[in-house]
Amino acid sequence: MIYVTDGSFEGILTAIFEAYEKKEDPESIVSQGFYQISLDSAVKEITTDQEKSRRVYNTVVCKMSKQAIETMYKAWLSEYREIGTALYKYIKMGLKLGPQILSYLQNPDVSLVNGLADKVSFEVHRFMGILRFKKLANGLYYARIEPDNNITMLIAGHFKDRFSDQPWIIHDAKRNIFVLYDTNQVIFINEDIMIDTENDEDRAFEELWKKYFKAISIEDRRNPRLQKQYLPRRYWRNLTEMQ
Amino acid sequence: MHLLEKLHILADSAKYDVSCSSSGSGRSGKKGQLGNAAMAGICHSWSDDGRCISLLKVLFTNYCIYDCKYCVNRVTNDIKRASFTPDELCELTLEFYRRNYIEGLFLSSAVIKSPDYTMELIITTLKKLRYEHRFNGYIHVKSIPGADLNLIYQAGLLADRMSINIELPSVESLKLLAPQKDHQTIIKPMSFVSHQIQGANELTIYRKKQMFVPAGQTTQLIVGASRDSDLTILRLTQDLYSRFKLKRVYYSAYVPVNNDKNLPAVNTSPPLLREHRIYQADWLLRFYGFSADELLDENHSSFDTKIDPKCDWALRNLDKFPVEINRAPLETLLRVPGIGYKMAERIVRARRIAPLSFEDLKRMRVVMKRAKYFITCKGAYYGDVDIDSGNLYSLLSEKTDPKIVEGQISMFD
Repeated sequence: MIYVTDGSFEGILTAIFEAYEKKEDPESIVSQGFYQISLDSAVKEITTDQEKSRRVYNTVVCKMSKQAIETMYKAWLSEYREIGTALYKYIKMGLKLGPQILSYLQNPDVSLVNGLADKVSFEVHRFMGILRFKKLANGLYYARIEPDNNITMLIAGHFKDRFSDQPWIIHDAKRNIFVLYDTNQVIFINEDIMIDTENDEDRAFEELWKKYFKAISIEDRRNPRLQKQYLPRRYWRNLTEMQ
Repeated sequence: MHLLEKLHILADSAKYDVSCSSSGSGRSGKKGQLGNAAMAGICHSWSDDGRCISLLKVLFTNYCIYDCKYCVNRVTNDIKRASFTPDELCELTLEFYRRNYIEGLFLSSAVIKSPDYTMELIITTLKKLRYEHRFNGYIHVKSIPGADLNLIYQAGLLADRMSINIELPSVESLKLLAPQKDHQTIIKPMSFVSHQIQGANELTIYRKKQMFVPAGQTTQLIVGASRDSDLTILRLTQDLYSRFKLKRVYYSAYVPVNNDKNLPAVNTSPPLLREHRIYQADWLLRFYGFSADELLDENHSSFDTKIDPKCDWALRNLDKFPVEINRAPLETLLRVPGIGYKMAERIVRARRIAPLSFEDLKRMRVVMKRAKYFITCKGAYYGDVDIDSGNLYSLLSEKTDPKIVEGQISMFD
């Protein structure tokens, strides 16, 4: 049996609920859009259900711990193709082991989910550093990012705390997600907003930053390989100092 | 002078100070203030030399009354000079901060007029930032050697981290290369700040926290400007960590900038590999339970170029290996070459659930290249040669990468 979900976290949790309720033990839980049609397996469409997903969520928190559900959610943000199946196997193991699942690092199912969650946490930390705001003519600060993982939700809180008196927009250009902070609350918007990013006044500070970036490097220690190890090329596009 | 040119001159003169971190202070945002501080620190970019950029690191001025032979800013050098005004520095810090270029400010300075005068300029700048502009981000400030302790105290109330650079690892080198500086002018303020930090921590038990250098104190040692051995440097480091409770000691491979008979010639490559080995040893002191005398001694006073200090130690103590991965206590696992702090902790956690096999370790992403010669898993040994065969040194030697000869090395390997 193959379960097909809408790909959302709640959708996957709903599928897991169905699997236990119907005692079906599906071989995989996949997302609409990309799954291989199989001649041998029956396919079942899962409709996301908030109540069912909430019950699975609570079971994980009670039986396995709050940290386990956070790990699962972070792993989901990695947008790994087979995340549905991975989370299902993780829960199966977790219901046997309880909170000990967090330490069962040698198990392939656990190590897969942990690995994905670690990757997401790493990128969250990275973007606290490499996100760049541009001050627009209307006083709004605008940042364009293209992270590997869907991390916008996880970084918004940090920038709200840091720049509480400063209205800003973070735009994930890869997923077309906008997060807006109006010095009061954070709002997520999933549709296009037109933004005029040209602002000549801001260019003076960009030039100062670029000048600083060049001046602080020691020529006798030049090491582009090391630089790229820390700051992979794919991120350079949205970095002021690399333009 | 245009601000752009000032920034160029005063960042360029600050670049040999290698301290970069913005860690050690955890502080959330406050209403009506700008900024917060992240306990682990945040890197914002990496410059062309591969070093991280976290703070806006500049000198207040590079006009200097001293003539330290190793320093690019010595009074007798014919270089472009500039000074910021406190307002210029505030503007740069705030505008960079608001665009998320930086975590905060790292303010150092050459000595203009007198140590006290310089320290006062620095304090004026920090006061403006903290009180006038309500800046709540990270500040690292240098204490100027020879400045009045009262001024150093005032700066400490405004900053997250303070440092005073020892630079030369022995009194003899200091006499030779910085004759105008007395080592007491460095040790005294360091000891003073260390006491103040401890005092502030004790007071917090009784009343509302008065912040004094919450992220602690650091220093820097130059490697390769003087004849001091790795052993001298490492013993000094150990002393600094235990006596003054320093958070970090940084090391800076000397880049020859001046001609002097007592210094390496200009155009000599900086000793990057040596610096790298000392950093590795520094981590072994801080996180792995090693002491300086275990790693080096009088007959063996500098690190091997081919193998890292932990491997070097293990090869001289083969009777302690191999260790069983499923039974060895954490402090023993930490001494296995190739097993880092994070991995050792993971191993200890995971083996409580079920015993670990060699395959399990690989899946947990333990790097086996070095570790396999020093461990057993459920009693079995996985090294391709016997531990006493005498071949380990050559097997563990890092290949002579042409990049290392040029003096460029990777931080990973």
